[in-house]
Amino acid sequence: MIALYRVLVLVGLIGLWWLISLQVGGVIIPSPPATLGAAQMLLAEGRLLPALGDSLITFLGGYGLAIIVAIPFGLLMGAFAPVGKTLEVYVFALAATPRVAFVPLIIVFLGLGVEAKIFIVFLGAIMPILINTYAGVLATDRDLLEMAQSVRAGRVETFRRIVLPGAVPFIIAGLRLGATIGLINTVVAELYTAVRGLGGLLALYGNTFRMAEYFVIVLMLACIGVLVAEGLRLAEKRLVRWKSGS
Amino acid sequence: MTEPAAHVVLSGVSKHFGHRDGTPMAALTGVDLTIATGEFVAILGPSGCGKTTLLRLLDGLLQPDTGSICVGGAPPRPGPETGLVFQSFRLIPWANVRDNIDFALTSSGLSLSERAEKVDEAIALVGLQRFASAYPGELSGGMKQRVALARALASEPQLLLMDEPFASLDAQSRELMQTELMALWARRRPTVVFVTHSVEEAILLADRVVLMAPRPGRVIESLPVDLPRPRWGYDVHGHPSFIALRRHLSERLRELVLTDPGSDFFQRGAPRS
Ligand SMILES: Nc1ncnc2c1ncn2[C@@H]1O[C@H](COP(=O)(O)OP(=O)(O)OP(=O)(O)O)[C@@H](O)[C@H]1O
Ligand SMILES: [Mg+2]
Repeated sequence: MIALYRVLVLVGLIGLWWLISLQVGGVIIPSPPATLGAAQMLLAEGRLLPALGDSLITFLGGYGLAIIVAIPFGLLMGAFAPVGKTLEVYVFALAATPRVAFVPLIIVFLGLGVEAKIFIVFLGAIMPILINTYAGVLATDRDLLEMAQSVRAGRVETFRRIVLPGAVPFIIAGLRLGATIGLINTVVAELYTAVRGLGGLLALYGNTFRMAEYFVIVLMLACIGVLVAEGLRLAEKRLVRWKSGS
Repeated sequence: MTEPAAHVVLSGVSKHFGHRDGTPMAALTGVDLTIATGEFVAILGPSGCGKTTLLRLLDGLLQPDTGSICVGGAPPRPGPETGLVFQSFRLIPWANVRDNIDFALTSSGLSLSERAEKVDEAIALVGLQRFASAYPGELSGGMKQRVALARALASEPQLLLMDEPFASLDAQSRELMQTELMALWARRRPTVVFVTHSVEEAILLADRVVLMAPRPGRVIESLPVDLPRPRWGYDVHGHPSFIALRRHLSERLRELVLTDPGSDFFQRGAPRS
């Protein structure tokens, strides 16, 4: 049912897009068929897929690295109160700093290549995952902890069976935010360092007012966002199956 | 008459909690109580008189401010030797019935297969075989309470602490569970401290009813129940001892609530029914 509604909304959005394009003229807002034509052309020229590949490497590299670092670190901060209390000030300070501010510094150290790009994505994605994981551990149900104490469950057992599963919804929320910021930073990285990937094409077509091609790139980015979100939704469905009830 | 061995001894126990304004509030004061091995004691008292606090002290989850507590000759320590059924179920939402019960056995030193056996036994005891792999979210309130009970019983504790365990059950399941508990107690003979709001439940189950008063929480009476056991198969509720004891305890409880300045019913003198 939801799938049907989604398709209906999609059709509506495309219709609206078409209408606006007719109103303001195809030079500023290209019509859906013009955009489709541009997509076919970009594919035929062999520009779209390499750019997509570049962007995916940057995004998945940085995002994956952020996950690998942020989740264990967040769990550590939550599980050991002195560590968490000591470091949280710095984590929050770093999270509040616009990460774009670090770009020049990153270029100095890592250059303009893929390492720098991955690092920019990593820096953006890590904070929401880290902060959410930490919050998830801190939000552990006190009553369940007292129950665990009452049966003299060990620290490891309590962590594995109570704290960690309880934090999963928080972690997934963090992964969602991290993916969004990671995707934005992918484009930022491609604009600020060596101009490549989807971000590079975005700049190229944007600056030369080739709006149909520009739209193709924007839609590609939106599709990546949707795919990542759906993947996380499936992961969540598997991990918190107990919540669904029947 | 020989003194039966004391299992639980409290002497001069008090416990205070910090008020919001910083002044300490007495949850329990001057509690002296001795419970024999294998005895079934019911704790009866109005809300806020420290019943839950008393159980947490007996489980070793809290330390008394003054006085001393001995369980089996040593200060209480939480663990599989003592089973505590919490007032709220406190089930792990993401673990099924089986895993919820198994969690109570992690420190028992049993092997995995022995643990599985104990879990099966406990599940059978509360009649939840068909729901062994259900999640708490799929169970009714009464079934959740039975899981909580099974978890406390799984390690076969010598001391069983129960905090209003049947309060959320419907009348039929409640009656069945009361009978089950009495049968279980007759079989395993653990020492039981059973907290309840219900005068009838206290009399039906216990060897002795301990009456508590609030503000400050304290023990004011300790009354033996001399009803023949087993207390099923005959009309316990019609027994003269039952009727006399119920009248006395109901009177005292009513008095406590009406004369307690902290109670919502202070000096209301509601009409007698
Ligand atoms: N952790 C705590 N912090 C502060 N005050 C507490 C705490 N635990 C209990 N109290 C207070 O101590 C008093 C006794 O509480 P307790 O929960 O033992 O009462 P109770 O007899 O179990 O009540 P009920 O029948 O409503 O469950 C209450 O006034 C309560 O507010
Ligand atoms: Mg209570």
